[in-house]
Amino acid sequence: MTLSILLQLIINGLFTGGIYALVAVGLTLIYGVMLILNFAHGEFLMLGMYIAFWAFTLFHIDPYLAALLAAVLVFGLGALIQRGLIQHVLSSHPLNQIVLLLGVSTLITGLVQFFWSADPRSIHVAYETSVVVLLGLRFSIPKMVAFFGALFIAIGLYVFLRATKTGKAIRAVSQSRQAALLMGINVNWIYVLTFGIGTAVTAVGGVLLTPTYTIIPTVGQQFAVIAFVVVVLGTMGNFIGAFLGGLIIGVVEAFAGYFLGGDVKIIASMLVFILILLFRPAGLLGRKPG
Amino acid sequence: MALLTVEGITKRFGGLLAVHDLSLSVEPGQIVALIGPNGAGKTTAFNVISGFYKPDAGRIVFDGRDISGLRPDEICKLGLTRTFQVVRPFRGISVLDNVMVGAYARTGDGRAARATAQEALSFLGMLPMADHLASDLPIGGRKRLEITRALATGPRLLLLDETMAGLRPAETDEVIRMVRKISERGIGILLVEHVMRVVMSLAERVVVLHHGEKLAEGTPESIVQDPRVIEAYLGEAHVTG
Amino acid sequence: MSAQSQVLGVKKPARSWLRGLLLDWERTQLVITFTLMLLVAVIGLLFPSPYVLGILILATLYAYIGITWNIVAGFAGQLLIAHVIFLGIGAYTTIVLNDNFGISPWLGIPAAGLVAGLLGLLVAAVTLRYGLKADYFALFTIALLVSLRTLFLKWQFVGGALGLWLQLGNTGWGNMIFATKGPYLIIALALLAFGVIVQYRIYLSKMGKYLLAIREDEAAAAALGVNTSLYKTLAVVTGAAMAGIGGGFYVMYVAFVEPPQVFDLGFNVEIVMASPIIGGLGSLAGPILGAFVNKPLAELIRGMLAAQTSGTTLIIYGSFLVLSIMFMPRGLAGVVHSLYLRLARRWAGDGTGGS
Repeated sequence: MTLSILLQLIINGLFTGGIYALVAVGLTLIYGVMLILNFAHGEFLMLGMYIAFWAFTLFHIDPYLAALLAAVLVFGLGALIQRGLIQHVLSSHPLNQIVLLLGVSTLITGLVQFFWSADPRSIHVAYETSVVVLLGLRFSIPKMVAFFGALFIAIGLYVFLRATKTGKAIRAVSQSRQAALLMGINVNWIYVLTFGIGTAVTAVGGVLLTPTYTIIPTVGQQFAVIAFVVVVLGTMGNFIGAFLGGLIIGVVEAFAGYFLGGDVKIIASMLVFILILLFRPAGLLGRKPG
Repeated sequence: MALLTVEGITKRFGGLLAVHDLSLSVEPGQIVALIGPNGAGKTTAFNVISGFYKPDAGRIVFDGRDISGLRPDEICKLGLTRTFQVVRPFRGISVLDNVMVGAYARTGDGRAARATAQEALSFLGMLPMADHLASDLPIGGRKRLEITRALATGPRLLLLDETMAGLRPAETDEVIRMVRKISERGIGILLVEHVMRVVMSLAERVVVLHHGEKLAEGTPESIVQDPRVIEAYLGEAHVTG
Repeated sequence: MSAQSQVLGVKKPARSWLRGLLLDWERTQLVITFTLMLLVAVIGLLFPSPYVLGILILATLYAYIGITWNIVAGFAGQLLIAHVIFLGIGAYTTIVLNDNFGISPWLGIPAAGLVAGLLGLLVAAVTLRYGLKADYFALFTIALLVSLRTLFLKWQFVGGALGLWLQLGNTGWGNMIFATKGPYLIIALALLAFGVIVQYRIYLSKMGKYLLAIREDEAAAAALGVNTSLYKTLAVVTGAAMAGIGGGFYVMYVAFVEPPQVFDLGFNVEIVMASPIIGGLGSLAGPILGAFVNKPLAELIRGMLAAQTSGTTLIIYGSFLVLSIMFMPRGLAGVVHSLYLRLARRWAGDGTGGS
């Protein structure tokens, strides 16, 4: 392992990790505010990818511009699902919540497969293989754009949560639902907003992936599992933790892919997952258990 | 020999000293009340005695056996059962099934457990509600269920945690009667109480806790007149009579 | 027979017999279950086409697998989401023993139960030792699912990504390989009967009450003498072993296994979760009611969508789950229970044979 390979792996890992980070941020936001694990999270990423695909194929819209379209559409869908379905099980047994979300996940995957078939799709843009070579290291342009796009959105979301009135309301609810209610915050509306934002952000993550990733109805599932790893690693509900965790897992995966092969690299994330769950379930930024 | 001997138990939560060097004892068939202002450490003491917390120092001896550090279910099977301050019925199952869970602490046989459960229910006047879902019971019924369930475990010492909280006077009298009936069976009772009327009418001895330490101990009459106790309660709203 | 019934004549005795049978809700569920199984057997006899038999066999198997999950998630309330890993391990055990070692499935299926039970013991021990509760427990089981899928994809001994085909020997009961589907249905029904009885016995026993108590309130259960770690382990191991046995039969029937087929969340939704959820998780009849309704219904719907079949199974099962949780949280068994209570009230109210 030479230094250049090491650095290359780290760079590739960070670039992919940026997307993981964005997806995980959406998931951890939902968990922090609503205290539910969105088992349908991967499907929103998948929808983002399909929206980008159809925007490109039918209207020749560049995928990165389609990000806004995807964000809006998925926000709407997420809000609807939250208000129409999830809202009603928020105080139910966790099993009901998990089953409902698994049902939604299965349903969405099935509908996509029904209407658009399971055939793999891909977007081919002019710059998809473009690279910038710097100091002997290759920086893939689409992956770099994806990384900075994810970073930009994550920062924007962070600022939104800290600086705006709505953002602060969201954070208030995540800290104490009771207190927020007492302060006159419309908690149910915050839930809708949060779920919409969380899923929209994930969809944008999917859009950013499209120049370099094959699109199939089940593509969301592997990202969902990794998102769970990242969220737990970064402490459930912790925004910065999720982002850093995403980058870490991205790098872990890059190395795993190099040493173990592409189809098995997920086992590295699973190993991290299991170790974290067993020994540090509160995550890297949480309090030590016990 | 005392049924329960608590020897100098201490429990810390981080920097907070919840219980410090607490000692008390309960004789077989005796009713002892543990009182004190809010936050005095009474429920923490209960949690330590019943095995939900491990003491940082000291030990608990029950019926001649050191039970410090045992699991709650092990302690229950040895004959020490506790109830909870905020009642915790098994809401999705029937009253009878609730009590049978307690009864199974003594046996593995369904018929025997059912008989024990029915006996406990009838003893405490809950038999008519046996087939009702626990979630259908009003608060008074749930408190009685909590005690009946604990009774079915065949305890020799019962730890009752603020059983009277939130009850109307008529319901309180009911529960006082229940506790007396249980005591007449020779079962020792250690109860945490805020309602002074209950303490005065039931307790043979009273232990007063304040800031986690034993402030005073004695008969109900002497405790009520103890100036240290009165001072501890000053500024503390407590229910009298 | 009361004095009253002697006066009123023939009508009352029939009522008393029925009342005795439906004495309580537990027994009633048992009656419903066996009636449905009898119905399935009769339909199988009257319409022995491969298509019909195929649906009946799978429905019966789904009911059985549903029971195995019901014990862990329904009775004990544990969030063991990826229960299908036990079915998968069981399937692989049986097929490997059959193909690589020539061991008869009659031994291979119990062996599958043993192996799956051991995996269950591992899961229980690890999660108890490290205190993994609720969401963390659910995530842990999913991590196991993904890990097992990846490991089996690479493990050449069990076929890797290509999977394993059942080595077909002579047909007959010795090898559990049949030319027609009828015998598979017989075995499936026998398996289901076994599952129903085990579930019933557990429910009425000390273990059953303890599992329900753990589900309702674990701390309160401990305060009443319940060794919660022991009983949670028992529930998981029982459910796992039984699911392993189901997996063994599954592989003998479909004659093929590969990692993305069994170690898959979509498959988990279909074969493990859908039936108990629709039928009523935590009830006795739930898994059976759910399976015997949702499998034929799913096939019917699929038939109606004739040409376009891609994704229809997912749509159907996803909808089933969502609709159940939203509109029928106690499942079909909950609906039947309400009817039963009304009937029981009428019977308790009347003394004159009708109202």
